[in-house]
Amino acid sequence: VVQGTLEKVSAIQRGDLLAVENVGTFLDLIQKNDKKINSFLELNRGAQADAEAVDRRIKRGEKVGKLAGLVIGVKANINVIGLRASCASRTLENYVSTYDADVIKRVRAEDGVIIGINNMDEFACGSSGETSAFGPTENPAAPGHIPGGSSSGGGAAVAAGFCDLCLGTDTGGSIRNPASHCGIVGIKPTYGLVPRQGLIDLGMSLDQIGPLAPDVGGAALLLETIAGKTQNECVLLDVSEVSYVERLKDDGIKGMRIGVSPKFAEIADPAIMRVIDEQVEKLRDLGGEIVEVDLPNLEKAMPAYYLIVSVEFFSGTRKFDGRKYGKRIEDVCGEEVLRRIVRGRYISQKEYRGKYYQRALQVRTLIRHELMAALQQVDVIVGPTVPKLPHRLGTKLTPMEMYAYDYLTIPVNMAGTCAGVVKAGTINGIPVGLQVQGKVLGELDVLRVMRSLEAAA
Amino acid sequence: MNIKIGFEIHQQIATRRKMYCNCPTNYQEVLPNTNVCPICTGMPGAKPLPPNEQAVAAAIEIALMLGCKIVTGQTIYIQRKHYDYPDLPSGYQRTSLPIACDGELQGVRIREIHLEEDPGQYDPVAGTVDFNRSGVPLVEIVTEPDMKSPEEARKFLRILTRVLEYTGKVRPEAGGAMRTDVNISLEGGGRVEVKNINSVKGAYRALKYEIIRQREKLKRGETVRRETRAFLESQMITVPMRAKETEEDDRYIPDPDIFPLILEDKRVELARAKMAEPPHLRERRLIEKYGISRAAAEVIVSERELADFYEAVAKEADPKLAASWFRTKLKKVLNYMKLRAADIRFTPAQMAGLLRMVKSKRVTPEQAELVLRELAKRPADPQELVLELGLIPIEKSELKAAILKVLEENERAVEDYRAGKREAINFLTGKVLGMLKGRADPRKITKYIIDVLEKRRS
Repeated sequence: VVQGTLEKVSAIQRGDLLAVENVGTFLDLIQKNDKKINSFLELNRGAQADAEAVDRRIKRGEKVGKLAGLVIGVKANINVIGLRASCASRTLENYVSTYDADVIKRVRAEDGVIIGINNMDEFACGSSGETSAFGPTENPAAPGHIPGGSSSGGGAAVAAGFCDLCLGTDTGGSIRNPASHCGIVGIKPTYGLVPRQGLIDLGMSLDQIGPLAPDVGGAALLLETIAGKTQNECVLLDVSEVSYVERLKDDGIKGMRIGVSPKFAEIADPAIMRVIDEQVEKLRDLGGEIVEVDLPNLEKAMPAYYLIVSVEFFSGTRKFDGRKYGKRIEDVCGEEVLRRIVRGRYISQKEYRGKYYQRALQVRTLIRHELMAALQQVDVIVGPTVPKLPHRLGTKLTPMEMYAYDYLTIPVNMAGTCAGVVKAGTINGIPVGLQVQGKVLGELDVLRVMRSLEAAA
Repeated sequence: MNIKIGFEIHQQIATRRKMYCNCPTNYQEVLPNTNVCPICTGMPGAKPLPPNEQAVAAAIEIALMLGCKIVTGQTIYIQRKHYDYPDLPSGYQRTSLPIACDGELQGVRIREIHLEEDPGQYDPVAGTVDFNRSGVPLVEIVTEPDMKSPEEARKFLRILTRVLEYTGKVRPEAGGAMRTDVNISLEGGGRVEVKNINSVKGAYRALKYEIIRQREKLKRGETVRRETRAFLESQMITVPMRAKETEEDDRYIPDPDIFPLILEDKRVELARAKMAEPPHLRERRLIEKYGISRAAAEVIVSERELADFYEAVAKEADPKLAASWFRTKLKKVLNYMKLRAADIRFTPAQMAGLLRMVKSKRVTPEQAELVLRELAKRPADPQELVLELGLIPIEKSELKAAILKVLEENERAVEDYRAGKREAINFLTGKVLGMLKGRADPRKITKYIIDVLEKRRS
């Protein structure tokens, strides 16, 4: 029995565990349990063959990649050649990808095995996993509850042990929110660190692809595989090689300056704050220096975000005009997708630009400056990920209640900084995740803090 | 009546690759939908590559040649202009904020210049779209409404075309490489925009039609509304566009997938140092430097290669003589042989040599023209060609003998001349020229014949 993701990949590379066995075990589990969870929309029929190829090369003594034989699920808004990038929408239900996203190319280059396509909120519009056109996903860590969204299938699949790792996407919290609700690790990388070529847009200026993993080592491994500049895209930071796994071994968090904000308690559930505060104390015990930072405008990010994301989403969905992919998006989509399109169409009109869109962009600048200033004083900021516990599947929420899940995750996307989530504890058996926010390209610090907490758990 | 006319001109830039992907741009030469990729067909998830640098450089050069100020040191956003049409794969067209402004060409102010991308080509009859053209870079040139008549507007477009060709950076072939929207307003009426114009001739006809239409309306006391109309080339009229096509708000937003352009002063200065001299300025300089006529200068600058050739010749031969030859004889030979200046195979030195022979009267202009024709076919030393063609200047005695012989054989013409018919001289000159197989100057022959006849009379 192998302990963590890094140990597992070593075992496969040594030949102690066959990649094909690894895939087989997961396929059996999915077969058995995913009817209830509904975390996969489609399985990759070539997964076994891909795994066999990796095993053959190991047997021959050839060098294999750092993800050798690891089994990876992919969110349904990322193009994987031959599989449906449906975005869990009727609009694209029959759209079979004709090309691999850049992150998929990188996963393949490191010999990861793609097992299938994960369920998600339709076009990533949702925070619960319930807006999928192909049915909601259940939270394996808190049965009867939502897994969070929009990377609902990925979060649930990792929590259910259906695969080693998943690729999710995060525009306003879509990786961190399910990671928190499902009790796993998730990372929203710095904007521009991971190529988006091949990712179907929600909000182009906010979207990032990132890992969902059962442990910090697995998240670090997948992140360093997909991160870094390509010539294939404009809006990328000039980062060539990243290495987290090696550097994570170095040391703990002694002397690290760790920020906390009184603002978090104003927004989050007191029960959640109690779990978070315990972790903050633990970080103090591990040698971190706890520093209070000021985030006076934090709650303004959410309403501004929903304006910006709606305008960008409206623009990005104009190609789904019914001419190339069957049905026109407005004719077949769910109500949250439609709400965002209509809102985006409305506020991008010439006469309302100044009133809504420009104001929202101003708030974004404000939030960015505020967060950057706070991160000048500390290495990371820790706090809750979501303000409340996941609701029971099927509960009716108003849009504003649904959006409120994202209060604490959105500022990171607005600022373009990075953040990770690690399990902090449980409340009545329901997981609660701690969010660790880092500076621009501060992923290593974020991983260090998460690794320390994981080791101390 | 006070008329104001302005243009928005879209011209394809000649690059090998498209604006935001690596597909080739030779869309006219290949089968439909073969120069395509996920980016230029707007496949789900596709993101643009960084803007084509060649296209940016070309737009800068075009802007400089139109005397524009380049927008340097500040962010130039690439915007998404949204509209719903089958030729637009993503539902928006990318267009930059102005990369340059405040230019001037022939008294018409250039308001601004943008970089754009071409949409695909939609065939409404077949119901098909060809995306080969989708993403081909365009430069959009917006003028102020400074033209006052269709004639003036036509002249401006012709001059503009010449300037664009001069840069060598635009797609020269016909067939939609240049597309124009015109706006026209008459005193007392609203501003009318006419779209779908694909040629200089089309622009002229659309304007002519609009002036009559608007003038008649105003005469009847009706109002001319501000509206957008479409030009129907086949019928040479304009018709209102459906409200749906014009009312839709374009909802411009900066494209989040592309970093804004920032043009450095240094880059612009480098481009300025390297750029070709614009034809209208070159025309002015040629007139001043070589003391040649405006008419000749205009012909010489009509093609950049022709002007380059002229200046090379003018270094080694009389510039004024060269200018008149370029304007008349060389142009005639090129036209006759259907050659562009770029296709000339003989050297400026050979042309200059020929002109020096004309200047020193070693050959007659008529003989030299024969040599020029030969040069255009097979480049060689003009001296040798003169010999080869048997155009050696004849001795005076031979000329005299020929004249006397002709006069003897054509008594009737001689009598006609004596009777006052001046044309008879031309007849006799032609006879002598024929006898000498063109080896003498006809002006000289005429002069000798008159001398002989006058001498006989006295």
